[in-house]
Amino acid sequence: MAANYWASTQRRHWLFTREKLAEVRDKQREKDMVAHTQFPLPDQRMLNIYFSQQLTKLGKKTSTRQQALATAQIYIKRYYTKNEIRHTNPYLVLATAFYLACKMEECPQHIRLVVGEARSLWPDFIAPDVSKVGECEFSLISEMSSQMIVHHPYRTLTELQRELALTSDEVALAWSVINDHYLTDLPLLHAPHVIAVMAIIVAVVFKPSQAGFHGSAAPALAGAMREGGMNMLTALGDKSGSGPPPRIQKLIGWLAESEVDIRAVVECTQELVSLYEVWEQYSEKNCKELLARMVKTQHLDK
Amino acid sequence: MAVSPLVSHSPSAASSSPAKLRAANVRSSATKPENASSHQPSQNTDRELTEQLNDEVRQKYVKDKRLGEGTYAVVFLGRLRTDPSSFVAIKKIKVNAEYKDGLSMDAIREVKYLQELSHPNIIALHDVFSSKDQNLNLVLEYLPLGDLEMLIKDGNVHYGAADVKAWMGMLARGVWFCHENFILHRDIKPNNLLIASDGEVKLADFGLARSFADPYLNMTHQVITRWYRPPELLYGARQYSGVVDVWSMGMVFAELLLRVPFVAGNTDLDQISKICEAFGTPTEENWPGVSKLPNYIAPDRNHLVPTQGRDFFLRQFPNAGPVGADLLMSMCTLDPRKRKTACEVLQHIWWTSEPRPTDKHDLPRKSGGTRKMGDDLTRRGGEIDENAFKNAARKLDFSAM
Repeated sequence: MAANYWASTQRRHWLFTREKLAEVRDKQREKDMVAHTQFPLPDQRMLNIYFSQQLTKLGKKTSTRQQALATAQIYIKRYYTKNEIRHTNPYLVLATAFYLACKMEECPQHIRLVVGEARSLWPDFIAPDVSKVGECEFSLISEMSSQMIVHHPYRTLTELQRELALTSDEVALAWSVINDHYLTDLPLLHAPHVIAVMAIIVAVVFKPSQAGFHGSAAPALAGAMREGGMNMLTALGDKSGSGPPPRIQKLIGWLAESEVDIRAVVECTQELVSLYEVWEQYSEKNCKELLARMVKTQHLDK
Repeated sequence: MAVSPLVSHSPSAASSSPAKLRAANVRSSATKPENASSHQPSQNTDRELTEQLNDEVRQKYVKDKRLGEGTYAVVFLGRLRTDPSSFVAIKKIKVNAEYKDGLSMDAIREVKYLQELSHPNIIALHDVFSSKDQNLNLVLEYLPLGDLEMLIKDGNVHYGAADVKAWMGMLARGVWFCHENFILHRDIKPNNLLIASDGEVKLADFGLARSFADPYLNMTHQVITRWYRPPELLYGARQYSGVVDVWSMGMVFAELLLRVPFVAGNTDLDQISKICEAFGTPTEENWPGVSKLPNYIAPDRNHLVPTQGRDFFLRQFPNAGPVGADLLMSMCTLDPRKRKTACEVLQHIWWTSEPRPTDKHDLPRKSGGTRKMGDDLTRRGGEIDENAFKNAARKLDFSAM
């Protein structure tokens, strides 16, 4: 974390409205209808899940911090708001975003190491020549207008942990929810503190049934949220009956006094619910094959 | 961009226009031969668009003469095409030299932080663009009056306490702003303090800067040019705070007063012993926990130098006055926990006591600064110019006190 979010390039240049983001993507489609018909790709969120899993593999091999992986995911999102994915080799973009994010989050890895590990993971898509990543880095920086500092929700979560007296299970679950939000468009749509508050609410309302969440919260939450998730917040406000348990009441009290945009928090929750729904249809094989066909047919790996 | 409550100082209205570089690289390296694709035409328009945007930025400036060249950058004088009287400095980072290894951390850090910071005492980054040979170009604020080192070293330049106070004030505000934004500069020294045409001091060279680490995460101790490096870094501390920069500020303060570097060690070890001689030997008594630092050297019990008090600073820096000596002492406290923070430094009564700081327009100046700017902007972080002070004269003009 650095600098002030409210004055940051992230807030001024990389925060979209839902409409604006849809418009950007529609434009990309219109520009190259042929490629879009020729190379159908899964839902954006499916691709994000696939990318995130691949990045996690790369991160594990190099024991990289979660925060750098999160930054890399943001870079990929930003990059593909400016570039048609069907004109790129996503594996090269992935490796490069990872390489740059590591430098940015002060845990730099040597370019040779990154290329070596990427090559061992995706031998068909990464050339042994490190200068490809070097070139791609240059392009990535330029597409992001050299605006590289990313503010993440993790810090807000840590800061609110004491204030809201969150248990370690709740923090762990909220942390996983934050990890999951990178699989959606939320980082391009909302401020990090809104995401953090959403993650805390989700974690506190849906008591974690098992301890220790590292990675995704999906298995624990998908079912619970489907049952009552959509109306969760309305239910919280419902004063009938015995009312919500004191723990949740306390959180509601805090929220009411805070100036956090509740409407945005609700929207984020819904986005997360629908992510978990989509997730059930996720197929790694399908993503892999469609991407491979797209890259190989167009020789984008050369 | 962290906007300071004060002015924004871009030479052009659209300073934050997106710096579009050569975007086509990934695609150019990743696309198949030109004629083999059915959707090639649209790809070309796409590529042209991004290049066009970069060209627009590039076209805003005219490159003039070369000001300096270092190991990783060349600096040119430039000017706005629309207004030839407004100058900029264009720092071209030599990408090709290290292309195989990706962009250097220095370059990345510089762009990363200057993109976000906007303050009158921090060098402004107006634009970023790429040139034809695929080099990154940073369009920086033009600072034609050289740097503080140049003024300190030139015996013909006379300055007094009020001038020192004005310079230190501008430095302290710049450092405070960095820390307020959770950024450590980690290379504060006189030749990174550049001077604008109106006399304003600007903190430059963010090649070693970084964000505050998350609690308990380690940082490197191999930062800050040796003479300005605080004892905790010399002892190898991996967790430290903004007060590392405050120590450097203290050293700059001392140097401004003495006109030679106050503690100028030849090696890191020599630097530690010189600090001990000057300020006192760090012990568990005056600095709890110091002996646990990785490179701590147990002092010779027979040669313990007691921690220096106010008298020492007053004797050593008579031109600082008692209040100034007190401030300097609080900036050079051995134990980083007891050292003043940048914010506390700004709250010291020295600033409001007599003499008032000189107005920036009336500060002593010297010509030939453009060349110096070229040198300063091309140097790599942490480098010492060992010969810099060979002929430094101890000349001070206290008539202004």
